[in-house]
Amino acid sequence: MSDREQTGRGIGRLTGRAESVLRDTLLAQGAGVVGAVGRPAERLLWPVAERYNRRLGERFGEVTGLQLLLLVVAFGGLVTAPLWGQDYLRPLTLGAVWAVFAMGWDIQSGYTGYISFGHSALSGAAGYTTGLLVLHLNPELSLFVTVPLSILVTTALGLAIAVPSLRLRGPYFSLVTFVTVLLFYRLTKALSEWTNGLRGIRVDVFTYDLTLQYYMVVVPMLAVAATLTYVGRSDIGTVLIAIRENEDAVSAAGLDPTKFKLWSFVLSAVPMGIGGVLLAHVNAGVDPQTFVIVDNSIQMIAMAVIGGMSSILGPLGGAFLFVGLRDVFLVGLGEELRWLALWLLVLLVLVFARDGLFRLLWRALGALGGDRR
Amino acid sequence: MLGDIASVIVDGALISAVYALIAIGFTMVFGVGGVLNLAHGALIMAGAYTYLSLVSDSILASVTLHPIVAFPLTVVIVGLISYGLYVVLVRTIEENVVITFLATIVVAIAFTELVTLVFHAQPYQYSVVPGVLQVQALGTRILYVELAAFVASWGAMGLLWYYVTKTDSGRSIRATSMSERGAMLTGVDVPGVRARTWLVAGGLAGIAGVFLGGIGAAEPTMWLEPLALAFIIVVVGGIGSIKGSVAAAYIVGYLQTATGQFLGQSVRGIMSLVVLVVVLLVLPQGLYGTEFVHE
Amino acid sequence: MTLLSVEDLTKQFGGLVAVDDLSFGVESGEILGLIGPNGSGKTTVFNCIMSIYQVTGGTVRFDGTDITDDKTHEIVNRGLSRVSQESNPIGSMTVRENIELFTFPNSIRSFDGGASDKAIASYAAQVDIEDALNDDPGSLPHADVRRLEIAKALATEPDLLLLDEPFAGLNQTEVRRLSEQFESFREQGITMVVVDHNMRGLMDLVDRVVVLHNGQKLASGDPADIVGDERVQDAYLAGEVSAVQ
Repeated sequence: MSDREQTGRGIGRLTGRAESVLRDTLLAQGAGVVGAVGRPAERLLWPVAERYNRRLGERFGEVTGLQLLLLVVAFGGLVTAPLWGQDYLRPLTLGAVWAVFAMGWDIQSGYTGYISFGHSALSGAAGYTTGLLVLHLNPELSLFVTVPLSILVTTALGLAIAVPSLRLRGPYFSLVTFVTVLLFYRLTKALSEWTNGLRGIRVDVFTYDLTLQYYMVVVPMLAVAATLTYVGRSDIGTVLIAIRENEDAVSAAGLDPTKFKLWSFVLSAVPMGIGGVLLAHVNAGVDPQTFVIVDNSIQMIAMAVIGGMSSILGPLGGAFLFVGLRDVFLVGLGEELRWLALWLLVLLVLVFARDGLFRLLWRALGALGGDRR
Repeated sequence: MLGDIASVIVDGALISAVYALIAIGFTMVFGVGGVLNLAHGALIMAGAYTYLSLVSDSILASVTLHPIVAFPLTVVIVGLISYGLYVVLVRTIEENVVITFLATIVVAIAFTELVTLVFHAQPYQYSVVPGVLQVQALGTRILYVELAAFVASWGAMGLLWYYVTKTDSGRSIRATSMSERGAMLTGVDVPGVRARTWLVAGGLAGIAGVFLGGIGAAEPTMWLEPLALAFIIVVVGGIGSIKGSVAAAYIVGYLQTATGQFLGQSVRGIMSLVVLVVVLLVLPQGLYGTEFVHE
Repeated sequence: MTLLSVEDLTKQFGGLVAVDDLSFGVESGEILGLIGPNGSGKTTVFNCIMSIYQVTGGTVRFDGTDITDDKTHEIVNRGLSRVSQESNPIGSMTVRENIELFTFPNSIRSFDGGASDKAIASYAAQVDIEDALNDDPGSLPHADVRRLEIAKALATEPDLLLLDEPFAGLNQTEVRRLSEQFESFREQGITMVVVDHNMRGLMDLVDRVVVLHNGQKLASGDPADIVGDERVQDAYLAGEVSAVQ
């Protein structure tokens, strides 16, 4: 029974007043309408979930039948996307790239509560490393050279930001990350002999086959998701959340908060490096507007918030939702209105559902199977 | 060389006064509620655009006010926007620092889109006080708008000083920033104090916005620099300390001006980052930061 | 053997001297009472020992090693643990998870470390909260929240336990039970320093008392002698009349 509870908890922390009201009404209705369908379905699926829990529950958290169904459907949908969504391959590919960013942001900022406004500098570092290498060193350079180097540079930049600022408590870290982005943006202009300024640097696409390109992005994305979910559910994730909730308690437990904060930043910088390289190749180039500007950092944050911070898979879902709204569903509104609507949605989630939409869904599904525990 | 130094002294004093205005409101809001208001830059932008709309006939054709009327009106309007932001949004979420932090930056970025929607992306130039003062003796020139900003800044700081030291309403703000519990025990209406602080901070941001827009231009990205500056100044001065903010505003202002003058304008912005890193490493609690007694 | 020695400890906040040239030692196996009126500097002493505050002057030695400038987590890993006056469990974790956090190794490569459920239950059992392991800390009564704080400290396997006002807010029965538990900690080889502004509950528990007044050591010795000490009574009379009885 306790393990079941832990699952729900691992997925969901931080209960807000407004959110609990929303959840109560949601559950009340769920009991009536969804419950009629959900409960039998849950009974049907439970044996499968039980088998999953015995095998992998320890590592990735235990699930109920319906939760497992959601994961399977989402996974299946992603893997088979070229079959059903040829028209949407571009937004789906971008969604996958941004999912990597959102998850990368989450393992550091979402978990520890040390909010970074500078993650676009990290993805920018990766993109620009790749760009500068092919532009100035050798246009034919193999991906096996550019990719690891880009990730390495991103991690190094991450540590350069983190080491002076993460020793300190409070908002210093956020400040340094914020300033870093502004500085990076300026540098791309100041060093335009190297970076081509606002025009940016052209990078070859992986392939012109959109289906193949989609898989070249989705596979790394799923690997990042699995790794970070594992880390987030492990003791490391627990310590990172404890840092957010009560850093003194972490010290008192004999754990070095600074060490764990730095580690979370490394865990975050590596996916940011991966995502940055992917974006450079998907976009066929790297430039300050699509990589570096602070708005991009805030988009990553928005995706994590919408999905549900400190759950890894929530930000993944949030990224697809955000990109879907941004590039498909809200395009008709026009440039500014579309963004205004998106930011308003993020604000509404922050105020009324601060645990995130996907976490709400996850809990609602869990609650339907809840009577068994 | 002498002229260079003289112009650094004069320019530094002028720009630092605006920096102080930017930072004080930011630090006050943090002092009384523990909220780092990342929409502070957006409030400054609101000041520039409000003033622009009131004085220029190209925006709202029916409204063209004289600067003498438009200026105080702008300050009041931005103060009210800030107050509204607190009452409508921040008050409902302020118990969670992370959520508040994120919500205020989202407000800032949403505001950028709103401004772009209404005013479009191009920069607007407007004049607050036209003209240039030639100072022959020093071989330097001063824009009247910079002079006006300097005077307005010190005027506002004087009023603020009077408010927080001589009036009950202002003293309760100071008491709350020293010890919220103490203030509450002595019967201070803490939620009221917070709302009032946002009002005052908004007013100060409004003043800063009018002059920043006047010296440069009003454009949808103009909130970023001031926010970064406010952040840096407040850390250098010690988070929550008004006195520290003023001192740090002058340090950062002068350093930037001097670097711009002697090392070139392109390194100017980098200087404040260098100061920031040095302060973080050597003096993390800032110039006037305090270690609090817990017992 | 002296387990903890505080030598010439001074802590100033700006112009305020909170602890003034204080020296005392804690013998291995004893329970020392650190008492004094409110504001006499007791909690500050603990904060200095645990490196929550940087000391202004003086040295803290634990088991012969200078720990004055160590970081808090290093001090904890040396075998010193503190139960603070405020309870601050992590609300989003169960009682079990709260205790488990204190058993994790200080390693970023430990994905699945920490004590077994059985070990965690035994820490909880030492303070009678083994039945609450799956509860949220927020749902516990005050006394159990305090007990959770002690269980967390026990989970770091300390040699020396610093207890800050452990009896505050507890009723007579609870105080008696807790004192018994402290005795059993001692039997397991844990040395303790207990801070209280009130000597009443401490008299039967502690072996020796150090009295603080305005950050200075006013007296030290056998509890019975301390109660009769006029200077101590005067110090308390200034503040609370009933504290020493």
